[in-house]
Amino acid sequence: MFGLPLAFSVPMVLSALALLPALYYLLRITPPRPRQISFPPLKLILDLKPKEETPARTPWWLLLMRLGLAALIIFAMAGPIWNPLPVSDGARGPLLVILDDGWPAAPQWDQRVIAINERITSATRDGRPSALMAISEGARDVAMSDSSRALDRLRAIKPVPFLPDRLAALQSVNKFLAANKSTEIVWFADGVAGGNARAFAEGLVKAAGDNPVRIVTGNRSALALGGAENAAGGLEVRVLRADSAGTPQGQLRAYDLKGLVVGEANYAFGLSNEIKAKFDLPIELRNEIARIEIANEHSAGAVTLLDARYKRRRVGIVTGASADLAQPLLAPNYYLARALGPFADVREPRPGVRDPVSSILGDQVAVLMLADVGVVAGPAHDAVAKFVDNGGVLVRFAGTRLAGSSDDLVPVRLRRGGRVLGGSLSWDKPKPLAPFERESPFFGLSVSEEVSVTRQVLAEPEVGLASRTWAQLADGTPLVTAARRGKGLIVLFHLTADTTWSNLPLSGLFVDMLRRVVAMAGESGAGVQDQTAADANRVETVGPTRTLDGFGVLGAPPVTAKPIPVNFEGAATADHPPGFYGPVDSMTAVNTLSLTDKLEAANFDGLRLDMQALRPAEPVDLRPSIVTAAFLLLLADGLASLWLAGGFGRRRAARGAAAVLALGILFGMGQFVPQSAQAQNAPQTAPAKPQMSPRDMEAALKTRLAYVITGDKTVDEGSRVGLEALSRELGRRTSLNPGEPNGVDPARDELVFYPLLYWPIVAGRPQPTVDAVNRISNFMKQGGTIVFDTRDALLSRPGGPPTPEALWLRQLLAGVDVPELEPIPRDHVVTKTYYLLDNFVGRTTIGQTWIEALPPEQGDISTRPARAGDSVSPVVITSNDFAAAWAVDRAGNAMFPLIPGGNRQREMALRAGINLVMYTLTGNYKADQVHVRDLLERLAH
Amino acid sequence: MVDARLLDEDELRADGRHELGALDLARRLPSLIVAAKDVAATVMYGVHGRRRAGVGETFWQFRPFVMGEDTGRIDWRRSARDDKVYVREREWEAAHTVWLWIDRSPSMAYVSTLAMQSKIDRAVTLGLATADLLVRGGERVGLTGLTRALASRNIVERLAESMVQETIRPGYAPAELPAAIALAPRTQAVIVSDLLSEPAKIAETIHAMSSRGALGHVVMIADPVEETFPFSGHTEFLDVDSNATLRVGEAESFKADYIKRLAIHRDSIRSVCMSRGWSFAIHRTDRPASEALLALRMQIEAGQSSGSYREAV
Repeated sequence: MFGLPLAFSVPMVLSALALLPALYYLLRITPPRPRQISFPPLKLILDLKPKEETPARTPWWLLLMRLGLAALIIFAMAGPIWNPLPVSDGARGPLLVILDDGWPAAPQWDQRVIAINERITSATRDGRPSALMAISEGARDVAMSDSSRALDRLRAIKPVPFLPDRLAALQSVNKFLAANKSTEIVWFADGVAGGNARAFAEGLVKAAGDNPVRIVTGNRSALALGGAENAAGGLEVRVLRADSAGTPQGQLRAYDLKGLVVGEANYAFGLSNEIKAKFDLPIELRNEIARIEIANEHSAGAVTLLDARYKRRRVGIVTGASADLAQPLLAPNYYLARALGPFADVREPRPGVRDPVSSILGDQVAVLMLADVGVVAGPAHDAVAKFVDNGGVLVRFAGTRLAGSSDDLVPVRLRRGGRVLGGSLSWDKPKPLAPFERESPFFGLSVSEEVSVTRQVLAEPEVGLASRTWAQLADGTPLVTAARRGKGLIVLFHLTADTTWSNLPLSGLFVDMLRRVVAMAGESGAGVQDQTAADANRVETVGPTRTLDGFGVLGAPPVTAKPIPVNFEGAATADHPPGFYGPVDSMTAVNTLSLTDKLEAANFDGLRLDMQALRPAEPVDLRPSIVTAAFLLLLADGLASLWLAGGFGRRRAARGAAAVLALGILFGMGQFVPQSAQAQNAPQTAPAKPQMSPRDMEAALKTRLAYVITGDKTVDEGSRVGLEALSRELGRRTSLNPGEPNGVDPARDELVFYPLLYWPIVAGRPQPTVDAVNRISNFMKQGGTIVFDTRDALLSRPGGPPTPEALWLRQLLAGVDVPELEPIPRDHVVTKTYYLLDNFVGRTTIGQTWIEALPPEQGDISTRPARAGDSVSPVVITSNDFAAAWAVDRAGNAMFPLIPGGNRQREMALRAGINLVMYTLTGNYKADQVHVRDLLERLAH
Repeated sequence: MVDARLLDEDELRADGRHELGALDLARRLPSLIVAAKDVAATVMYGVHGRRRAGVGETFWQFRPFVMGEDTGRIDWRRSARDDKVYVREREWEAAHTVWLWIDRSPSMAYVSTLAMQSKIDRAVTLGLATADLLVRGGERVGLTGLTRALASRNIVERLAESMVQETIRPGYAPAELPAAIALAPRTQAVIVSDLLSEPAKIAETIHAMSSRGALGHVVMIADPVEETFPFSGHTEFLDVDSNATLRVGEAESFKADYIKRLAIHRDSIRSVCMSRGWSFAIHRTDRPASEALLALRMQIEAGQSSGSYREAV
């Protein structure tokens, strides 16, 4: 009515609206009650006759309110209904209802069933026969039936957990149309392009000829999960939608095998139709996840199942190379860590651990990768052997160290001696990889042409070598071999894990191979398949254990479900419904959507179709709300009349008015509270900003030096004046213009603002608290440098007992991760950062200054006058009492005498300080500067 | 908008239509009494200042016993301190008597939004305060028809009590005017009322009371609404004493007439008072009670010699 989805069940009542003018007239001549006022001296004027007696008229707004009230009541009596049921549109022929019953139809299944029910009922009312066809059963012939049988059939249809191909149904539709002329076709489509929606629609239009074809689509897009990926930071799930209709955000829930909720993740589609939601959970919890579903989206597509392949293994990497930090691209663990990172949790031993193998096994790794580790000896060997026997996977990479050693933790016997190495085997040219054999776990991976191998270790030819070979070169030389040992597995890559022997570590194949190897690591080792002993020709199949129905609920598999091969990959079909296959302890998950599937909206543009939307809402009876409005108007009218009669002034009347109001409010609350209850999502409280002291604010705004307040007045004053003098000199001589130095207390103050912290050691002071030590440690890890000054150069003797200051410092640093130190070498970059220095002097000259040890020299060092590590040394330890030498006030008066003394010593001390500050601020930049001559020369050409 | 109302049951229990009402009034009285005493004290200090130390002593003087007197009048306590025998003599015998009448008719139970108090509250306060003032000044005060002339210190409580006693008496109906009984000569009457009865009746009462030469003071209590008639619009006026109503379309058109009638009414009462030498004052309930009390006090002081009246606002 009036273009609105509004209808009246008793429209005749509306004719009562014609009575409103009469009501208007009646109301108009009935004035409101006069004010009543008691007036004691009334007798004085009782005999007076009124001069003018004009009855007051009802005010217009009161009149309007009462008319509105009457109109509302009439409307309510007429039974208004919002979104009324559709009326039959006058078609004559039989009705064919085609129903998409793939999983995208599942979320709105009930509405679809109701809509179809209405169609069929309405057709029956008009005496038209009807037929119902589900797409998934499209190959069957469609039979005309009466309405009750059609409705029975409708109730029996449930959505299927895959996308059926609609073209299969076209045949039977054609057959039906040929038999029944002038059929009205109504297709309840799920709005997804998959399953040949467009082609089917074209076929329908063609088959129908002149007869109408209606398509009824849902009003919200289907949502789906397109597979999960257990990445480094969390479990990422692809969330897909067909188009932007429907809610743009929602929640994912992850369940374990028992159906308990493990975690929740929110997603929000922006403009794109595909986004990734992330479960940020610890790896142990992530590995528990067996099922992820979109909350409140009940369809098989909105569920993704995870099996052991999605579990993220913990992989330990130990490399034989010692200190490769300077050149990461040459270190094998770099390639391994990068290749494993996307699907495994990589653990590497902390630098400086004495026994890296044992320590990494202590981290409960599932796979241990030894990159060019030669002799695994002693307790480490026993630990690795026990690890493999208990079901661990040991992956070894060859290299110069392995080639020269021998141990039993290899799958095949290796040839030793000089002949093994590539140098003596004259390769004509680098060899490519051969395609993988069927029995190899790498089977199915495509071998890249670009991969070539220049060196390798060779296996001794022996019986059974072929069955242990997983990959080989084009000439048949084994490249990857594997053997079982105990419950575990030993895999040997006859290559280095870096690029010196082949470019395999640079290829994507390397990642895929490692992924397959890591996937073999079972929790207990029971799941590890003995590939070497396996029957090469057997293709294992596993039967369905539990499958999803169309609504995404796990249940017993249907009889039509067939087993899948163990390495089945891809989306579910009618034969292989989504679900878990195989025995409970090693289940294979089949998902509705494959990892690459996309969800696209069906496009029916340009077709002669009558598009209709699935009715967006149920019919709403408007009577209650109109009656409520009328009641409220009635209350308002009562209050207004009361007010007009001057009732509010009197106490009793006011009490009455209050009662009326309270009643009205109660009634109104009862009416409107349910609607407002939707606003349940409480806004998340913003995290409170941490308090920041003005001092920290100031420190953050300008680079400045800082010293640790020891509590010893003389020392603190010396530090302050010394750093002030140093800051002054820095401002004068360099482009750095530092602010006033700050005294800090590591237990209390934020250290992160200071690049350099000067810490004079005073032996008698109490040690900082554990918390403070942690902060110091963090400060050093974040790139800060602390200069510890023991100031005991005169007291300590080489080889003598440690001084109290040294003991104090040792105690302090016991809780801090301090790298290996060495006396500052002559070619260290800190001696070149501003001035060229030989040694670092302070108040004394005989003390030693220590700095983080540089990596061992590599290559030709003669051309490099300066060396530097990758980062700035986090700690510098001196005993020369720097600050005392710097401590010169503005007038030029020194605070402390120098030993032996002289202005030159003071100048050298300042230069040492300037170099230290420059070193902390510029890092190894000066070490690179030494190449500037070469660079200039190159530019000149 | 100006509004006026009659006191409802709760408030009207001040006069107590039934027995329970007496208790309510007793509970209510202290505040009235305190108000009355407050008002009286203010007036006393304002006009007289402290002329004597201590209050409320009825003792006047001791005089030596004269032979032949009744020995029962000898004050033995005083006489024991001396060789002579003394008689305690009291001055009260020489005091004047003032008869008080407070109107408690239904028309008094009326208060408008412009007033500070209802008329009856104001009348009782004013009357009791006058009594307190007079007793402290050494006079005797009584309620006409209710009590004899008293001079006790707790005169306010006594009078209030007797008013309550009267209200709980069965068959009690508040009178609009005092009983038309001639007062003794040289006594004074104080009438606090809204005087809305017919002027003829009022004149008759005053003539009767003053027939033996008693003087009197009439205080007319009026609600500001009764003087200004600030009504407008469609209004129905209800009488208080009778069932009479007056419905008018536009109340404002009656204002001028009403004010003229009221002035005539007051003038007639005033002329009656003047003719008998009584004073006449009008007091509006939107003015402080102390103002009326002060005026009344001065009237009473000047009462015996002069017959003029002074109008308080």
